[in-house]
Amino acid sequence: MDLDFSPAELDFRAEVRDWLAAHVPRRLPPMDTPEGFEAHRAWEALLAGERLSVVSWPREHGGRGASLIEWLIFEEEYWAVGAPARVSQNGIFLLAPSLMRFGTPEQRRRWLPRMATAEDVWAQAWSEPEAGSDLAALTARAERADGGWRLYGHKTWSSRAAHASHGFGLFRTSGARHKGLTYFLFPLDEVAVRPIAQLDGLPGFAELHFDGVFAPDSMVLGEPGDGWRIAMSTTSSERGLTLRSPGRFLATADRLVELAADAGPVLADQAARCWTAAEAYRLHTFATARRIMAGAEIGAAASMGKVFWSELDLRMHELALELLGDRAGGTPWLDGFLFSLAGPIYAGTNEIQRNIIAERVLGLPR
Amino acid sequence: MHFAFTDEQLALGATVRDVLRAHCPPGALRTERRPAWDRLAELGFFGLLLPSELDGLELGLTDVLPAVEETGRACLPGPVVETAVAAAFLVPRVPKLASGGVCVGVALPGEAYMADADLADVLVVARTGGGVRVAVGHEARLTAVPGVDPCRPMFAVAFESPDRPDPGWSWGRGGGGADRVALAVRAVTVATAAQLVGVARELLAVSVSYAGVRRQFGAVIGSFQAVRHKLADVAVAVEFAAPLVHRAALSVDRDAPTAERDVSAAKAAAGEAATLAARVALQTHGAIGYTEELDLRFWLARAWSLAAAHGTAAAHRERVRAALHTRDLRRYP
Repeated sequence: MDLDFSPAELDFRAEVRDWLAAHVPRRLPPMDTPEGFEAHRAWEALLAGERLSVVSWPREHGGRGASLIEWLIFEEEYWAVGAPARVSQNGIFLLAPSLMRFGTPEQRRRWLPRMATAEDVWAQAWSEPEAGSDLAALTARAERADGGWRLYGHKTWSSRAAHASHGFGLFRTSGARHKGLTYFLFPLDEVAVRPIAQLDGLPGFAELHFDGVFAPDSMVLGEPGDGWRIAMSTTSSERGLTLRSPGRFLATADRLVELAADAGPVLADQAARCWTAAEAYRLHTFATARRIMAGAEIGAAASMGKVFWSELDLRMHELALELLGDRAGGTPWLDGFLFSLAGPIYAGTNEIQRNIIAERVLGLPR
Repeated sequence: MHFAFTDEQLALGATVRDVLRAHCPPGALRTERRPAWDRLAELGFFGLLLPSELDGLELGLTDVLPAVEETGRACLPGPVVETAVAAAFLVPRVPKLASGGVCVGVALPGEAYMADADLADVLVVARTGGGVRVAVGHEARLTAVPGVDPCRPMFAVAFESPDRPDPGWSWGRGGGGADRVALAVRAVTVATAAQLVGVARELLAVSVSYAGVRRQFGAVIGSFQAVRHKLADVAVAVEFAAPLVHRAALSVDRDAPTAERDVSAAKAAAGEAATLAARVALQTHGAIGYTEELDLRFWLARAWSLAAAHGTAAAHRERVRAALHTRDLRRYP
């Protein structure tokens, strides 16, 4: 057992650090405004030009074929320097792992490079008004048509859909609860999109109404009826490594310790506790990355990580607000706090995660 | 980077686990003071960290961590960490140490009481700033003090005779007493944290088993979210404490600049995880858990006594806080 970075990994870290130091923009407008959305796309295109937007992807799709450890290094540097949140995150972190695993070569060629450069920005469309935690209860449906399918129904809480170009989600193609679901990709231009303002007042969500939107067969990911299995593999990567890498929380923890430097012992103790927890998440992730690189599946264990990082993130931002009091407004901590509040909800609520841990990690009965 | 135990490290842990399962069953905790010690000695367990010229295997702390964790999981009584870890740093030349022929009690600097001193052939009191006071059993007067752990009794130690010259048991070569004591403190703290992880894992396992068979309202209680979510929280706490402990062992072995802080982070997290595991285990078992009749009591007590040993979680968090207050936010790795 060791924790030594290889010389190549250290070189990679130095290269990333230098490039980011020279290129990271000052604060961009919020990504859920039209001008902020475009500014974030432009930033990601710049990253992509250096093959730094998706370092772990194969070269032919715009990446560098970097290892998971290198990707974690990239993320540490990215967040440490205060680089912008990723407007393409739903695509690159949620859809892309499924496309690489279940997509046809044609689908991968067609969609991944444009995702890497943020030419296409993808929104996720899982939830429905009556299907949140109980996702398999969804009722949006796809009906067979000539050469493809027609989509009907209603999706909601669709992140980024107000400005994105494409979406991905599950639609019912038969009555079977899980095996009747099919994974579709679709352009958003024919979908009726109603933006929904989030707690910060910006339209980070949208409602999607499908009234016979045509999706050709080439826009089905995997086989019809395979959607649940593919989506679960997506949420597994979402909860596991790819969506919330440790780098983000390490950077927050460092800033929190700085913020608490002159605080009394009670709040400083809480800051130190958060800082240690961020380290624990980092170390745990190094171990997980090693297992994945050795060919193992992380499966339900990803739920433990999701509970841990989302509650850590919330705790850190709550503490920052305690430290700042009425000076919090106008600091990134307030926006960060609002964002962190979503963590225990999205990607499967933490109550669902605890059920998964109880059943599939601990083996408790339903 | 390979942040996972090697096959050899895991094999050592598995061997110790098998030995303890066979020779330190829960029933032995009620009848024996040092079950399985002879078997561990046969394995060479007490010489793992000693240099080869002292008949040891010259392993690092990291190498033995899975094995030490197993001693916690089994609730193994006796001064295990003191003899197998602390003595290797403080009094490596005590005769028969490697072969397990001698049992060592240790009080680290600042510690008022010595655990398991009644079993110790050799008593070592390490002093702040270096140096050790050693005595053989009959030279010390022991006064039992009340404690929480029936298998880890605590004693006040007074010496009958004046300070005697070092009989040549301590480091000897190279001097560096203060460094050796500091190293011993780090290693013992990490080893105790590893035991706490083992204790927590066992507490979780028995609680999950019980929640899977105990029926109320016509269903096993493990099907109730109020119960299962608490158990899930324990699983998360243990899952994220363990890597801090593993990292701390590497930090000590490599003498990383952050070693002091890494050790404290590990002990605090492991202590908190084990304390939570004990709390949830008792709540899951209900009234039967609140008895001396159920073996659970031994693991509850071990969680509490080891969480308090060599610095409580709060004391170690305070050290982490103080280290961070210097604005040194470097991490290992």
